[in-house]
Amino acid sequence: MASITLPTRREAIAEARRQGRRIAAVLPYHYPRALLRAHGFHPVEVWGPPGVPRDEGGRHFQSYTCDIVVRATSFLMGGGLDPADVILIPHTCDALQGMGSVVADFLQPSQPVLTLYLPRSDRPSDRRYLVEELRRLSGRLASITGHEATAADWDEAFAAEEAADLALASLYAERSRLAVTDRGFYTAVRSREFLTAEDFVAMAAGLPRGEAPGEGVGLTLSGIVAEPLDLFDRINDAGGRVVSDDLACGARRIYPPSDAADPFERIAGRLIASPPDPTRGSPIEERVRMLADLMRSTGAAGLIVFDVPFCEPELFDVPLLRQHLGEAGYPVLHVEAELGGSLPHQVLTRIEAFVETLR
Amino acid sequence: MNLGYLFGYQLAGRAGLRLQRWRSEWRHARTAPDPDRALNPPLRSTIRMREMMSLHYLEGRHVAGVRPVAWVTSGAPTEILKSMGYFLVYPENHAALCGARRHAEGLAVAAESAGYSRDICSYARTDLGSVLSGTTPVGSLPPPDLLLCSTNICQTVLYWYRVLADHFGCPLVLVDTPFLYEDEAAPHQVDFVRRQLEEIVPIAERVARREFSEEELGRVIGRAKRASELWLEILNRARHRPAPMTAFDGFINLGPIVDLRGDRQTVEFYEGMLAELDDRIDRGIGAVRHERYRVLWDNLPIWYRIGPFSRWLAERGVNIVASTYTHAWGELAEMMDADRPFEAMARVYLHPILNRSTGHKLAAMRRMVADFEIDGVILHSDRSCKPYSLGQIDQRDRLVNQVGIPALLLEADHNDPRSFAEEQAMVRMEAFVEMMSA
Ligand code: SF4
Ligand code: SF4
Repeated sequence: MASITLPTRREAIAEARRQGRRIAAVLPYHYPRALLRAHGFHPVEVWGPPGVPRDEGGRHFQSYTCDIVVRATSFLMGGGLDPADVILIPHTCDALQGMGSVVADFLQPSQPVLTLYLPRSDRPSDRRYLVEELRRLSGRLASITGHEATAADWDEAFAAEEAADLALASLYAERSRLAVTDRGFYTAVRSREFLTAEDFVAMAAGLPRGEAPGEGVGLTLSGIVAEPLDLFDRINDAGGRVVSDDLACGARRIYPPSDAADPFERIAGRLIASPPDPTRGSPIEERVRMLADLMRSTGAAGLIVFDVPFCEPELFDVPLLRQHLGEAGYPVLHVEAELGGSLPHQVLTRIEAFVETLR
Repeated sequence: MNLGYLFGYQLAGRAGLRLQRWRSEWRHARTAPDPDRALNPPLRSTIRMREMMSLHYLEGRHVAGVRPVAWVTSGAPTEILKSMGYFLVYPENHAALCGARRHAEGLAVAAESAGYSRDICSYARTDLGSVLSGTTPVGSLPPPDLLLCSTNICQTVLYWYRVLADHFGCPLVLVDTPFLYEDEAAPHQVDFVRRQLEEIVPIAERVARREFSEEELGRVIGRAKRASELWLEILNRARHRPAPMTAFDGFINLGPIVDLRGDRQTVEFYEGMLAELDDRIDRGIGAVRHERYRVLWDNLPIWYRIGPFSRWLAERGVNIVASTYTHAWGELAEMMDADRPFEAMARVYLHPILNRSTGHKLAAMRRMVADFEIDGVILHSDRSCKPYSLGQIDQRDRLVNQVGIPALLLEADHNDPRSFAEEQAMVRMEAFVEMMSA
């Protein structure tokens, strides 16, 4: 199996700058990529990052705040976001609400801090609101750059970002025909977090085709972020194989296409039609149905919900996922691990035992 | 009419609770202030409040099949449902009651046994534990025909109500309120909430099989507005020295403004409470006998420690005279407008303190420090309530360094005593009181 070589974040940022783009540091996880691009911004996502200690962020957020928020704050305070021209903090949950507000009101970095409130349902009123919210964000970006996005900017942005979205969706569709390990696959998927759209498309096209390696028990992975990537090796070592996911950093961001002519309608339509997701308020029944279908179609025998501690949107659903998917014949394992360097022994043992029971 | 409802609630229940109130009032009238106690006798109004809330829960035991039932979040726009005759259950208020009566821990454990994590809000765990075990100190709660959830206090309620919707299989109506990072709501945010409020009507009509009347809605809003104004006046009476009430009185008497807002009796109740406070002020009676320090409380109370806490503080001459939490149900009264009900409600329900920025909350605390002549601030860092608590570290820092008053970050949990290291907390409280005296 060929290993995947990718540019680093630093190189991706340099490439975006070379193309004349500014950098937007973006917190997880739904946001309008094409809108940023139409205004000349390249998004680079901040999921922690895992290696950054909690200490500095812990001076602003209590110990019961999730790692994504605390470590991202540490990173910000340590100068990690200095290369960014703006910081976008979507309102994903109460924790990111707190972070957006504290950063804007108290920490006040040198860059503008932008927020985006995503509606929690998919009614016509939600869509209408989101269109206006996107217009507001567009107005903020235009006032920062001094340049309104033109029709040509929008066309160029949609062409590039939707091609990259399609490439992401194709990676998932072709998973069983990609000759990459689970770790390799998720390294590729997650490079969407920082590569330019063009580089992502090229990377996806260049992945080796053939037989997917590994024979193990099929598993679906759910949760916010699969960190560290070591997780995949350990799952493989235990005799498991990740055949599909419901990860915020993964398949939850496969947005269906839209042919709306108005750019804001188009983006809103796509964001609102994303797969069922607790942070977007999807009914649990829809989420269960989606997961059962996904597991059936990809041959998964069980679900691992891999959570960051204190992640309320995920935690509330776990008992009902366990109950309903259990009734459908899919056992569920729930584990939590901080975004540290390595997986706790106890988590590994539980994963091993779970895979063992599925054999 | 259901016989249980008629006898159990309307006749025998009502009469029994009234009798109980009379007895308590009679005893209260004969309670002389005890010079050895740091607190003056409690407010007489609290006896009436207990009767109202008991009656409400008693009606809940018999109401199924008589009135449509909705379970609603504490910040939900309930006026629409109230105007259509819905009986409203507030799981948060019920959870608080369980907390105050020390039942919450057992219920939370029941939820945890069903797989709910200890890291989710303890109100939610209390409520889910009660639903799953069928246990509650109020006898029983009527199952909902409709769930109404508004995100203007947190996103947690939406996760929680999705679970309830799955459990009860009834419709869940969402009023999603974009968080206000800026000072005022933008027009598209107000429009969004207004449209959702209008969307409640047909669903509520279908579930209740009753017609909505805008006239009746206007009447309910009028009463809700009046009750909220009275509530704010009541809280502001604590600006007097000595304050005739403590914030604990506020926490305890919050039930009617949350659960029974829009009812005539709620207006009458708060009129009575206001008169009682004015009488105390005229006679120079403070809630704390020797009030030396005036403190502001931020966040939810620690329900299972309200009594011991207020006594401990009073013994040291400390009166918690105000709280950001209790003010939340009064400060929006001026936005209510029965003539433009949907537009006005959209604004009201977008602006609770919990839906506003951390900077806004700091500004509100600064104002309260000045208005109530505050000597120190206790910020309850509530492990269970992230939206209220995140931001407190920086708020405390500004209060200490910019306003120049002592401020304590007190780690606890509003409903789960297992997350409260009491001994350690009291040592820190002692040091805080000493700082105020310095
Ligand atoms: S891990 Fe969970 S709580 Fe933390 S930012 Fe992500 S969604 Fe929010
Ligand atoms: S998280 Fe806070 S605001 Fe939300 S239900 Fe719990 S206590 Fe209330």
